Amino acid sequence: MGLKELFKSGDLTVDLASVFDASPNPYVLLTPDLRIAGMNQAYLNVTGATREAILGKPLFDAFDSGPGEDAPENVRQVKASLEKARDTGQRDHLAVVRFSIARRQANGADTFEDRFWSATHTPIFDDAGEVVFLLQHTTDITELETLRNRGRTATEASALDSVVSGAVLGRAEQVQEDNRRLETERNQLVELFMQAPGFIAVLSGPDHVFQMHNMAYAQLIGHRDIAGKPLVEALPEIESQGFIPLLDTVLATGEPFEGRSLGVQLQRSPDAPLETVWVDFIFQPIRDADGQTIGVFVQGHEVTESVLADERQKLMIDELNHRVKNTLATVQSIAMQTARSHADPRTFAEGFQARLLALSHTHDLLTRRNWEGADLGDILQHETEAHGASRVSTNGPRVALAPAAALSLGMIFHELATNAAKYGALSAQDGRVLVDWSIADPTRPRLKLVWRETGGPPVTAPDRKGFGSRLIERNVRHDLAGEIELDYPSGGLTVTISVPLEREPDL
Amino acid sequence: MTQAIAGRRVLVVEDESLVAMLLETILEDMGCVPVGPAATVDEGLRLSGAEEPLDAALLDVNVAGKQVFPVAQALKARGVPFVFSTGYGEGGLPDEWRGQPTLQKPFTEAAVRDALMTAMGLADV
Repeated sequence: MGLKELFKSGDLTVDLASVFDASPNPYVLLTPDLRIAGMNQAYLNVTGATREAILGKPLFDAFDSGPGEDAPENVRQVKASLEKARDTGQRDHLAVVRFSIARRQANGADTFEDRFWSATHTPIFDDAGEVVFLLQHTTDITELETLRNRGRTATEASALDSVVSGAVLGRAEQVQEDNRRLETERNQLVELFMQAPGFIAVLSGPDHVFQMHNMAYAQLIGHRDIAGKPLVEALPEIESQGFIPLLDTVLATGEPFEGRSLGVQLQRSPDAPLETVWVDFIFQPIRDADGQTIGVFVQGHEVTESVLADERQKLMIDELNHRVKNTLATVQSIAMQTARSHADPRTFAEGFQARLLALSHTHDLLTRRNWEGADLGDILQHETEAHGASRVSTNGPRVALAPAAALSLGMIFHELATNAAKYGALSAQDGRVLVDWSIADPTRPRLKLVWRETGGPPVTAPDRKGFGSRLIERNVRHDLAGEIELDYPSGGLTVTISVPLEREPDL
Repeated sequence: MTQAIAGRRVLVVEDESLVAMLLETILEDMGCVPVGPAATVDEGLRLSGAEEPLDAALLDVNVAGKQVFPVAQALKARGVPFVFSTGYGEGGLPDEWRGQPTLQKPFTEAAVRDALMTAMGLADV
């Protein structure tokens, strides 16, 4: 029958009790709330107490280390060691502790005797693994300690004794102090681990069982209960995403793996669809004392925001490149076609520049509204104002134009105005241009615009079309899917344009 | 050198009339007959139908906000060689169409001719 079973009910069998009682080593048995549940004769001898006086009492009521000023600290040290043994389920040692014991004098008064002890606190478990008792084993080392102190200051004891005992006890104290410091450090490290802004998890064994994970990791996976579970069970959605073979490889080779901007799909809340999260991470092998890889340290941070920002930026650059290249092709076309109608380099340069500026003006108007669109009246004004505001009268409602339509109409108005200035109404002193427009059929809006020239020289239809008029016609029919009519009554040119205004932007 | 390409009927799909006019001018200078230009994918599909005799095509990848690939598909089915033109370069093409002769905007007359000759499998003599 094992000790565990014997202690299980709290009763000691007679046989064991007598062995326990006969031991020359002092033992006291405590309940988890540190009440005295039993003790042996050696304990009573060393403490000078009686069984009746202390049984069932809280340990530190029975023994309070006396009235000395060190007493609270002495009690604290013993209590801390007992609580640690209870809370961790691990045996704890106190190499040297000072603890005063009451001695009943002949006159009935108590005096306190300073004594030094070495104590071991051992937790005792029931079948369910709960701590039911704590066994304290104390050794009175007052003599040794006295000897050691005397060795430090005087020469009475043999030099060898004092060296040996002093060194041994000094080392024991040092170990105890080191343990306390290490535990403090360990607690600080655990705290750092838990609070670290990056996610951290410790996986052990071939099934990658979660041993530890910090708050950032919990946040990453949507606060699921994963402690002690294998990875596939804890995060089932991971299984098909290629991470498990990577972990297997780290375990098999002992080589770390570093992942950059890798997407992982996670079930961050129970009923939601999988969410893609981008992470930078490292799988670092954990080795035992023999150098065997026994687990994987997972550490990393989420980079979703920066990955999405990079994607947006790439899209924007692609789109910008596309627009620039298209615009360059447009400019190339203007250059080539303008060159064909101007044999003289000087007039070519004038015509080319004027067309470039017309294009640029419309770009300016669009830029002012973030390339969402531009107003028809504004475009018309921009393209005609060089010829005198009073000579071109414009009349119509506000019409919001999409960027492509704005660019086309800008070129059209430029060509019409240039033509009027060269050959039409604006070439004569009193000539004028009247531009009227309206929106027909608001359900399927259609812009109808009439450009009418008056007061200019008599006009006749040209026998061949120049680049300007081809450009106007093609822009209306091709780019704007509209219709155009050019009439040449003798009073002046009349141009009627009708274009659908679908997908009208909101200005 | 342009003899081999002279007289060929070349469909142009391009939504910007200025660019379309440039292509037409270049094609006419090479002795080709421009067909179109189509300003939309629908019009491009109509013009690439069987009744229109075609020797080749120049296809702008992005036509009035739509991708031109249905037209490319129809031409491929008919066995009409074609060249993509794009501001994005070949990198902007989906995998399916990688390796297809591609013109980068803006383009020179020589680039248009070379791309068309490559697409049609004509030797540059």
